[in-house]
Amino acid sequence: MADSPVVLSDVHKSFGAMTVLDGVSMDFPAGQTTAVIGPSGTGKSVLLKHIVGLLEPDRGEVRVFGTDMARASESARYAVRKRLGMLFQDGALFDSLTVGENIEFPLVQHRKDLSSTKRRERVAEVLKMVELPGIEARAISSLSGGQRKRVGLARAIVHSPEMVLFDEPNSGLDPMTSDAIDQLIGHLKRSLGITFVVITHDIVSTVNIADRIAMLYGGKLVAWGTVQEVLRSQEPVVRRFFSRNLVLPTGEGEPSLPGPQSG
Amino acid sequence: MIDALSWIGRLGIYCFRLFWAVLRYGVPPRRVVEEAYRIGVQSLPVLLVINGFIGSILVIQGYISFAPLGGQQLVGMFVGLAGVREAAPLMAATMIAAKAGTEMASQIAVMNTREQVDALEVMAVNPLAWLVGPRLLGILLVMPAMTTIAIVTTVVAGWLVAQFQLGLDGYQYFLLVQRTLSPLDLMVAQVKALSFGAVICLVSTFCGFVAPRGPEGVGQATNTAVVVCAVISVSINFLISQVAYGG
Amino acid sequence: MVQTLTSLGSFGIFCMRLLVRTFSPPWNFPELFRQTWRVSLRCVGPVMATTFPFGLVLALQGLQIFDLYGAQRMLPSLVTTAIVRELSPLLACVLVAAQGGSSFAAELGAMRIKEELDATEVMAVDSLRWHVLPRVLALILACPVLQVIGAVLGLTGAWVMAVAIQGEPSGTFFANLWTFTTPTDVAGSAIKSVVFGALIGTISCFRGYYAHGGAAGVGQAVNDTVVQSVLAIFVFNYLITSALTAR
Repeated sequence: MADSPVVLSDVHKSFGAMTVLDGVSMDFPAGQTTAVIGPSGTGKSVLLKHIVGLLEPDRGEVRVFGTDMARASESARYAVRKRLGMLFQDGALFDSLTVGENIEFPLVQHRKDLSSTKRRERVAEVLKMVELPGIEARAISSLSGGQRKRVGLARAIVHSPEMVLFDEPNSGLDPMTSDAIDQLIGHLKRSLGITFVVITHDIVSTVNIADRIAMLYGGKLVAWGTVQEVLRSQEPVVRRFFSRNLVLPTGEGEPSLPGPQSG
Repeated sequence: MIDALSWIGRLGIYCFRLFWAVLRYGVPPRRVVEEAYRIGVQSLPVLLVINGFIGSILVIQGYISFAPLGGQQLVGMFVGLAGVREAAPLMAATMIAAKAGTEMASQIAVMNTREQVDALEVMAVNPLAWLVGPRLLGILLVMPAMTTIAIVTTVVAGWLVAQFQLGLDGYQYFLLVQRTLSPLDLMVAQVKALSFGAVICLVSTFCGFVAPRGPEGVGQATNTAVVVCAVISVSINFLISQVAYGG
Repeated sequence: MVQTLTSLGSFGIFCMRLLVRTFSPPWNFPELFRQTWRVSLRCVGPVMATTFPFGLVLALQGLQIFDLYGAQRMLPSLVTTAIVRELSPLLACVLVAAQGGSSFAAELGAMRIKEELDATEVMAVDSLRWHVLPRVLALILACPVLQVIGAVLGLTGAWVMAVAIQGEPSGTFFANLWTFTTPTDVAGSAIKSVVFGALIGTISCFRGYYAHGGAAGVGQAVNDTVVQSVLAIFVFNYLITSALTAR
């Protein structure tokens, strides 16, 4: 486990009276794709924000590339962040910049050694990787939801990070676009060979792209292992989550598990 | 009351963090010029209109008020004291707060809502240095020029009303404005302008950052920003005037 | 240009639709009282916090003029006319625009973006009558009250500067307080504050009601509200002042 880029040990986090993470310990093995799944409101996004250091745990610690994100100095935290990329839910692209400028942004900020020609070549290269070649000059407002995700993904990989985090890559997309994004992530996973962390509640895409699955429910880790292991899990919550016919309560503010449903 | 005090405390901490971030990471000069240009161009039209009205109202009211003294020609002096020293810089600041300040607040609240501020953090870019630094330096860059324009507009609009609406001696008017004012007054006006500029930028961006995410948050940030800017500007205006002219 | 005319046209239609609903039942009195109370409470702090320092500054600069002529005793008379005629309606209503108008624009804008207004209509409830009209009328009712509060605070500020700080005799101050102020002045400032309240109400609700473009659209609506209300206030102030002073 020493080579895991992200190690969480006993992470607790509450907002007011609501406990969101209740003692989560796990790690994300290098070079593999781990999907963090669970119904909405179970702290998946909060977990992700702990990994990038946007939130600090109340208790426990989050180590990324060996750095304790909550206690590290700002420059140490920035040093870690330069080694990772993140795709935000709606892309989080800057509306005042063009597509090209958005993707170039991390390079302009941190790779002052690159000439502007080099930077633009790299931008064209990653745009080709996300299957949107030649749209550098477009405005962000002219992009569709799926295109935003692709451009956001291009920005997340432009500086050749060692790990990419995905916050709900399928949210707000129609099934076809969603499939295409899954294929793209699978393709990038094979071609880049780096660590992926995917937050999702889409079971189909989880099974499509993940090597390992971690399932959060009520702030706790209820299943964690390879896809096969988790699919075979006898845990009632996990079984219900994967049998899509049943609607799982969202578990807002109630950390206890509901009893198994009969019939 | 306690809310207000803790708000002010957090604003203080925010300013401290901002200055630290600007010193640590620097501010790209190109972005400063962009912001300065935007703030200037955006606010100039309203500024001209409002200060034009300020000048004309001062002259009309001065004219009526000085009638019992038989001193209608004193309107020039009135414009100098009330307009150039007080109303012109203050109204210029209010309009810049209404135009540029609200836009800063809503832009930053929108960026926060759409996770763009988080994205900056994740890309290891300090959001304060990148977003606020250029706006702060930009507004400080344009405030003196804007205030000068506001003062000139006020005086000229006052002259137009004095000469053409009220039939006063225009030469006399300018002479009185000029005699009433000293270089010190113009310097005080610039000190005011710079303080207003700093307040507008710091308060508006702070409101943008602390607003809850979502459409209500954006509205709330914009709303709070303009009111707090106006209240603080009026108070600062009094303090500076008292120090400069009260002794 | 065409766009400005179109938006002026739809603003006119919006006002007409509100006017029809003002004079036809059913009226929603509880909501009207609730909104009036809310907006008055929201605005009273900022209004007081700006008119008081402005009273201070007015007396400070006024004393400089009258010192020249040894006519300090005239200060309160002139300060009162300035505050009653111009300052309290203008300053109070600019602050109401910044605080009350912009918060209404923000509320309605957020309701538009979150489809709450559409939901209201789908439930066969007239959203103009239910959500918009009480807010417009609330501002028309609140502005005169806030203006009077602003005037009192402005005069208090002038008293503090003249008597407490600069040491003019308090008796003379009160004796000369109302010398120049005529009933026309008081009526004029009441008319002004009602007109300004109507301007702020219609502009803010128009901007909020027709907000579009997500969270950023709410920010834009608030921004437009403040700038356009203040511009409209100054234009109408000039017109009303000119009409009242024309003999």
